[in-house]
Amino acid sequence: MSDNTYHKVGRRPWEWKLKPIGTDERPRLRLPGTRRHWLKWRDVHNPKTLRRERVLADKMPLWWTLGLGFVAIITPFMPNSMISVMSIFCIYAAINVLWTLIVGTAGIFSLATLAVVGASGYVAAAANVYLGVPWPFMLIIGPIVGFLFGAILAAPSTRLDGLYYALLTMGVAEICRVFVVQLRALTQTNGAITQVDSFIPEAWFLQRPGLLLGFAGAFLLLLGALLVWRLVNSERLGMLLRVARTSREDEAFAEAIGIDFRRARLMVFVISSAALGVVGAFYTMYYRSISPTIFSLDQLLLLFAMMVIGGLGRAEGAVVGAAIVTMIDKGLVELGPPRIILVAFIMIGVTIFAREGLTGARHQFRDYRKRKSGERRARRTEKGGEAMPEEATEVHDKQELYYRRFNKRLRDRLKTLITPELIEEHKRDPLGHHSDALARVLNYFRRAEMADKYVIHRMIPTEERFRIMAVSGVRGLPPRVVDDREYTDINDAYHAVFLLRVNDLLES
Amino acid sequence: MDLGLIVYALNLASIYALMAIGISILWSSVGIINMAHGATFAISGYAAWLVTGALKPVIAAAFGKTALASMVMAGALVGSAIVAGALCGVIIYLLAFLPIHDKPNYPVRALIITLGLNIATVQGLLWTFGPRNQGLPKIFGFGRWEVFGTRIRYDQAGTIIGAIIVLGLTLAWLRYSRRGLEIRAMMQNAEGAAYSGISRQITALPVLMLTGALAGMAAALLSQTIFVSPTSGVIPLVKGLTIALLGGLGSVAGAVIGAILVGFLEAIVGAIPFLGQRYVLFATFLFIIAVLIVRPRGIGGLLDDTRE
Repeated sequence: MSDNTYHKVGRRPWEWKLKPIGTDERPRLRLPGTRRHWLKWRDVHNPKTLRRERVLADKMPLWWTLGLGFVAIITPFMPNSMISVMSIFCIYAAINVLWTLIVGTAGIFSLATLAVVGASGYVAAAANVYLGVPWPFMLIIGPIVGFLFGAILAAPSTRLDGLYYALLTMGVAEICRVFVVQLRALTQTNGAITQVDSFIPEAWFLQRPGLLLGFAGAFLLLLGALLVWRLVNSERLGMLLRVARTSREDEAFAEAIGIDFRRARLMVFVISSAALGVVGAFYTMYYRSISPTIFSLDQLLLLFAMMVIGGLGRAEGAVVGAAIVTMIDKGLVELGPPRIILVAFIMIGVTIFAREGLTGARHQFRDYRKRKSGERRARRTEKGGEAMPEEATEVHDKQELYYRRFNKRLRDRLKTLITPELIEEHKRDPLGHHSDALARVLNYFRRAEMADKYVIHRMIPTEERFRIMAVSGVRGLPPRVVDDREYTDINDAYHAVFLLRVNDLLES
Repeated sequence: MDLGLIVYALNLASIYALMAIGISILWSSVGIINMAHGATFAISGYAAWLVTGALKPVIAAAFGKTALASMVMAGALVGSAIVAGALCGVIIYLLAFLPIHDKPNYPVRALIITLGLNIATVQGLLWTFGPRNQGLPKIFGFGRWEVFGTRIRYDQAGTIIGAIIVLGLTLAWLRYSRRGLEIRAMMQNAEGAAYSGISRQITALPVLMLTGALAGMAAALLSQTIFVSPTSGVIPLVKGLTIALLGGLGSVAGAVIGAILVGFLEAIVGAIPFLGQRYVLFATFLFIIAVLIVRPRGIGGLLDDTRE
């Protein structure tokens, strides 16, 4: 071999990998004040290339940075209408991330998310408009209202489960809507509070600088929601719930091992309700008004569709789903009603084919691939006497496994050699000089184990009567008679034995 | 309380019972929370409208203005609504049950798919027929009876009697037929039913068609009182769902009791002068929240405990 072309091996040969230097110590950046690392670097040994590599074991931070960075960079160059679409996307994504915290981490199927947002938005707006509270304090009033509202809503969640609780929260949203619409002070504006003060100056409202400022605020809001999600999930609260999740059916068990996970669930619910209160205050300021549509079922279903398309219970799913649905709903407004139909069809399609939404598709595909390769392996090894993988671990002498595999392949090869011509050739001349194929087949037969090997029995009183027997293979145990046919010619008996052996070979 | 109020309450209760029992049976036997029940309702209403519109000249030519003509018209209306409802059930079976019934996360995914179907149907109807209300022919005729000094409109009486007959037939079918036995076995214990050789795939289809037909029947009966519109399914869906949950999912008796309670509650709240129709939904939800806090599994919700 003189040419020096090397071919890369492995499943993804094109992937760029860091190569650690063995003598250097890996620099570990930690979050200040904690022992946590920024990124999950791992030095691993690649069994294919036989090299050491430094890989990012959890690549999600990379994708988050790329995606959010792309949104932040590209938006200022967009036309005005698209900037407001991006801001709405950020607000919806923030709500969805916090809702994901309730549904996924806490496991409470609440539909009152928008009710919390709306209630805190309304109270904050009322405080601003009627009591003259300046706008920065709305961002404090909002979470306080959200916290109180969340605490009230959370109370029955331990008692009711699943759908019953979902119904109750849906009822709460409806009650909020009716209550607001019926308020006498708001009847002339159809239940809306307008002229709310905002972080966007009055002169800039709906102008380009105002839109950009609004987008900046919405983007920060999304980052804040993600931070809340991250903190809750990576701290003790989230860990407790992750442990308890495996035993969600068995609450008694989780409590017996010392997890007060009802309390943990309530804590998560209340924390995310307070965060939703911030979103509510922001929402009011962003639009400078708030109207009862925020309590409507359609709005809720749209948000639910976002979570479902992205993947229920995952932060990235909430954001991806919000991006897709907002782009269709707000970006294609000229399409009219069909755009909602499109959203519905995407929702149905994703749910039929994907187990956990679009962001779970990768994991699902890997599971599928693993299952299929397992099935293929099972199909490969199920025939021909070769050892099954489960069986192989039990066999002490590994030589045996290779002998069985060799035998199986040999038999597969010999089976292709057996033809009517070959049988005819043996019939003509059982002993003597044979063709290559027949010689190979006969060699295999001769090498067979003694157990159940066919032999010819020359019957004692007469000279020329033969029958076929099979030896037992056990010392002291006599051979058994295979059938009652007798042959007067030894060549016929040879050929009969041959046929029996061919039959056994083809059946193996 | 005067008799008119009772009749009005019973009228509401019979429609709600038709919707709620469908949702309840479907959940306990097949395991789908059918959010597309409202879509089935709306589609059945539109199917009845289309069919009666097409048949009107034919019937008028064949029978003239006799009583037979209105009978045939009534048959066409109810029949087309029921057939459309059953066909909707088949579509739900093909989309929300068959592809995913043995996959992980099945109940939530089925709920989401039916929800998507509901949204798509409402928007599709809005797109095709526009938001206008469509009136259906009055199959019970106009007029009222005088009973004990109060007047009962024909359509109210017809709705109550029709709903009772349909519910009676459904319950009898569930009670006495072979297929009904299978469905009841699945309602009691789906796994046990599978062990006894009851195929979930085969049994789910008649259940979905039956519940779809019940929604179609409800649409045909309600079309005598209100108009057909693309969003006409939303309120019956919300009411049916809340009543099914109030009665305890899987309990037919609970659903009936819930429907009667809510029917009377709505009639009374609507009749009280200072509350009126605007507070009806408000009062219903308050009532249901109160009941659920006292009995977390609904009125008849002992079944869920035994299912676990």
